[in-house]
Amino acid sequence: MRKISVWTAIVWIYSLFSMLPLLWMFMSAFKSNGEIAAHPLGLPTQFDFSVFSDAWEAGGLGRYAINSAIVTAASTSLVLVVASMAGFALSKLEFRGSGLVMGIFTLGLLLPIQSYFIAQNQIFEVFNLKDTRMALIVPYTAMGIPLAVWLFKSYIDSMPRELFEAARVDGTTDLEIYRYLMVPIIRPALVTVGIFTALGAWNEFLLALLYVQDDSLKTIPTGLLAFSSKYVTDYRMLFAALTMVTVPMIAIYVAFNRQIVSGLTQGSVKG
Amino acid sequence: MKPTSKFGVLVLVAPAVLIYGFAVVAPFVGTLGLSLTRWNGFNLPEFAGAANFSRAFHDKIFISSFGHVTFYIVATLFVEVLFGLILSGFLSSHRFMGFPRVALFIPVMLPMVVIAVLWGAVFNPDYGVLNAAMGSLGFEGMQKVWLGDPKLALPAICLVSGWIFSGFYMAIFNAAFARLPTDVIESARLDGAGEFRVFWRIKVPMIRQVTSVAILLCITGGIQGFDLFYVMTNGGPYNTTEVPTTYMVKSVFRDMEIGYGSALSVLLTVVGLVVAIVFRTVQKSRQTEVEY
Repeated sequence: MRKISVWTAIVWIYSLFSMLPLLWMFMSAFKSNGEIAAHPLGLPTQFDFSVFSDAWEAGGLGRYAINSAIVTAASTSLVLVVASMAGFALSKLEFRGSGLVMGIFTLGLLLPIQSYFIAQNQIFEVFNLKDTRMALIVPYTAMGIPLAVWLFKSYIDSMPRELFEAARVDGTTDLEIYRYLMVPIIRPALVTVGIFTALGAWNEFLLALLYVQDDSLKTIPTGLLAFSSKYVTDYRMLFAALTMVTVPMIAIYVAFNRQIVSGLTQGSVKG
Repeated sequence: MKPTSKFGVLVLVAPAVLIYGFAVVAPFVGTLGLSLTRWNGFNLPEFAGAANFSRAFHDKIFISSFGHVTFYIVATLFVEVLFGLILSGFLSSHRFMGFPRVALFIPVMLPMVVIAVLWGAVFNPDYGVLNAAMGSLGFEGMQKVWLGDPKLALPAICLVSGWIFSGFYMAIFNAAFARLPTDVIESARLDGAGEFRVFWRIKVPMIRQVTSVAILLCITGGIQGFDLFYVMTNGGPYNTTEVPTTYMVKSVFRDMEIGYGSALSVLLTVVGLVVAIVFRTVQKSRQTEVEY
């Protein structure tokens, strides 16, 4: 029995109010630098879209977006494949060392990046991984593994043994069971894990800042930071870049908001 | 179930273990080892025993960084968790809340760096919208150099953090409230309990489990805070927004004190784990009621 009261209006007003920084950002992208500085609150007087192509090409935003897409796609698909395989084995197969493996992954749920990035940096230096895309793909994959394994394992734990034993009667191997029986039925878990892993990789900043100095390999977070110091007085370009990074993400979010909200909350709460 | 072959198990488990072992477990052990050395990254590391740790306990900036992060955590417990809980309370008891539900979560999924740059612009003294708005409302006296003022920078960062994550906690509480059985709530309403009483006396106690997870998340996430601090102030002005992670990054990557930075990392990890364990223990010893 839900109702309408003065609080409906208050919460609405607050929500609109909290969108103001984003609205200001969109509007400022269309204003000239002079207008932005002299009338921060004013509306744009003309709608000139050329600033967006300037930011995308001259500012290098396009390159950052491509790098982010490559790093995100690679690390997310790796996490989905290796963690679902491990989760399946840990849930349904009896083998020596399974307790140890599960223990290591459980410990991993508690370790923050801060507990290992210093030596990780040194190791990546030794392996000449720094300033390559692998310097981000490898740690993003590794960081995603513990929670993903845990989620896949609990998802598969809830499925009846008989299902797998029936498949086994026909002489199917474990790998075949994984490929033809497991993958199709864990699809909902794949979506959840995929959402939070992909968003985590897309938004990650600390390691990207430390491991990639080469401007042509930077991802959106570090690229945008470089962009903002390069165009520190060209406000219009900065707002255009911010707009171009946020608008597509907001559009995707509005289209899939249920999946994204549940993916992101599960991705942090269950850990 | 018995595996068909050892090879099959190896194929299934090895990739995850190897990637994780290479990029997390080995570096974790390595950081523990480095914390006992003095090393600039070029020469060979020298064994230093516990010297780095005793130095850390006397390092005023490092100690104050824990003070700042504690301030940040306490503030965000209010502006993120408590505020998120209250918002969710309104959402769960009112109609036509689709827009707030969707809109308030938007900042959660955007990159923190992007948000930090945007809010840096909002706070900017030259063209920022905050000072402009205050000016046009007649509060010229309250126009400030927000992120450059030692008294205001940290609260400003906490506020931005609240702007981002209140929507996140709201979403967590929305899911919890949606799972509550309606009969208890309905009967309380029939007994004449007002909406505020129903919320604080019935709904909130019923989701206690979720609330404590949210509080723990806010604390452990706060201890690890970095992005907002690095982009908005990078520890300044005068180290008043220095948090353990920004300081650690400076020690290792600016001062090239890898051993010392590693000791700071070990201390931070220990503090985080202790907080989490203490929190869980206290929470378990208090668990008496039926869970929902």
